[in-house]
Amino acid sequence: MIRVKLTAQLKDWTNGVSSLEMDTVPDLQSMVRKLDARFPGIGQRIVDDQEKIRTHVNIFVNSENSKDLQREMTKLRDGDTVHILPSVAGG
Amino acid sequence: MAKGDGRQILMVGTRKGAFVFTSDSGRRSWKLSGPELKGNETYHMAYDRRSRTMLASVSSSHWGPTVAKSKDLGKSWKVSRTPPKFPKGSGLSVARIWQIKPGTDDDGVVYAGVEPACLFRSDDGGEKWTVNEAMLNHKTRKKWQPGGGGLCLHTVVLSERRPKRILIAISAVGVMRSDDNGETWGFKNKRLLADFQPEKYPEFGTCVHKLAINQSKPDTIFQQNHTGVYRSDDAGDDWKDIRNNLPSRFGFPATVDANDSERFYLAPLEGDFSRIPMGGHFAVWATDNGGKEWHKLDSGIPKTSYFTVLRDAMVTDQGEPCGLYFGSTTGQLFASRDQGNKWEKIADGLPPILSVSVSSA
Repeated sequence: MIRVKLTAQLKDWTNGVSSLEMDTVPDLQSMVRKLDARFPGIGQRIVDDQEKIRTHVNIFVNSENSKDLQREMTKLRDGDTVHILPSVAGG
Repeated sequence: MAKGDGRQILMVGTRKGAFVFTSDSGRRSWKLSGPELKGNETYHMAYDRRSRTMLASVSSSHWGPTVAKSKDLGKSWKVSRTPPKFPKGSGLSVARIWQIKPGTDDDGVVYAGVEPACLFRSDDGGEKWTVNEAMLNHKTRKKWQPGGGGLCLHTVVLSERRPKRILIAISAVGVMRSDDNGETWGFKNKRLLADFQPEKYPEFGTCVHKLAINQSKPDTIFQQNHTGVYRSDDAGDDWKDIRNNLPSRFGFPATVDANDSERFYLAPLEGDFSRIPMGGHFAVWATDNGGKEWHKLDSGIPKTSYFTVLRDAMVTDQGEPCGLYFGSTTGQLFASRDQGNKWEKIADGLPPILSVSVSSA
């Protein structure tokens, strides 16, 4: 299993769900597709039309930013915790 | 389309959300609501009178663009779960939805013009969208170049009297027309100057800023271009420069009087490189004879008014006499009840205004 934690900014797409578990999937791209199947429309908020992680969205696998790993193709393993967060935008 | 009881719904898209102004029947007082869709760039709005639905193109800097719909004049919104999206493998991703245009038949069709330039169509009032394949796969697409605002399809013109015609404008590609509901597209840029490139009159690569028509005369099209002001009387097959005594060839907004197909409004700027109003004083200019002569309409507009009014931020309503509205990127909203002869500021201090749309209630 993997645990997925979502920013409150996405609560409109998840009916308020901010944390969930799902069967382990091979990579972040598969995880986003699975999330979208459960919460239609959320996928396109996290990734663009070509399934690339949006510029101002960060997906952390445990404490590593996927942009420092293999981005949407970052591998997932049983027990991983994934955080989906907006990037800090200025300030 | 019925004109209703004279009340107008003014939809103001801003950098920080949507504001909705509703007038009395005389358009003398305005009731404000908003901001709705707070924090989201609201690029364009439209009111679909067929379904009594307000549509907005909204974009979050984090979560991307989508379309939102409201059945209660903007009090509550439902966001599309299946917004415009390019097919996988195209290499394209929707960056912004520039224009939302309800269709003219009673069938729920809505069009969206997006960046990178393409047309999308919804058959269910704006929930589910499909890309226009003919435009996506147009043989010239690889040669399309962006204008200063990006490679955007910013204008969609439809007419009840020409139900299969779709006229669109792309910066800096030019005007395209389909006469078969978007199955095929042809360029319509004859005699449009493009003096910013070696070929002065290209088939495409002209910089159209805005198109406007009066619905009673759908084959007459007015155009504000980067290089001039043009008129076509054959649905874009040919264009004639009608700048005449205008103080500048350059500007962005353009709109036609709802009751007079020869009365056309513009907002000239000093030029491409400064993009400020003439002499620092914003003014609307109008012609009453289809472009032969132009006159200034600035009564009520402050003498010092370095307003930036974006291409979608000046519109005409369907009232009699025609009402005219513009909003600035410094948050001022002006209205005229009498074809621009006298202006009143109806709001100030709004976030940067990106678009102003109007519909009879």
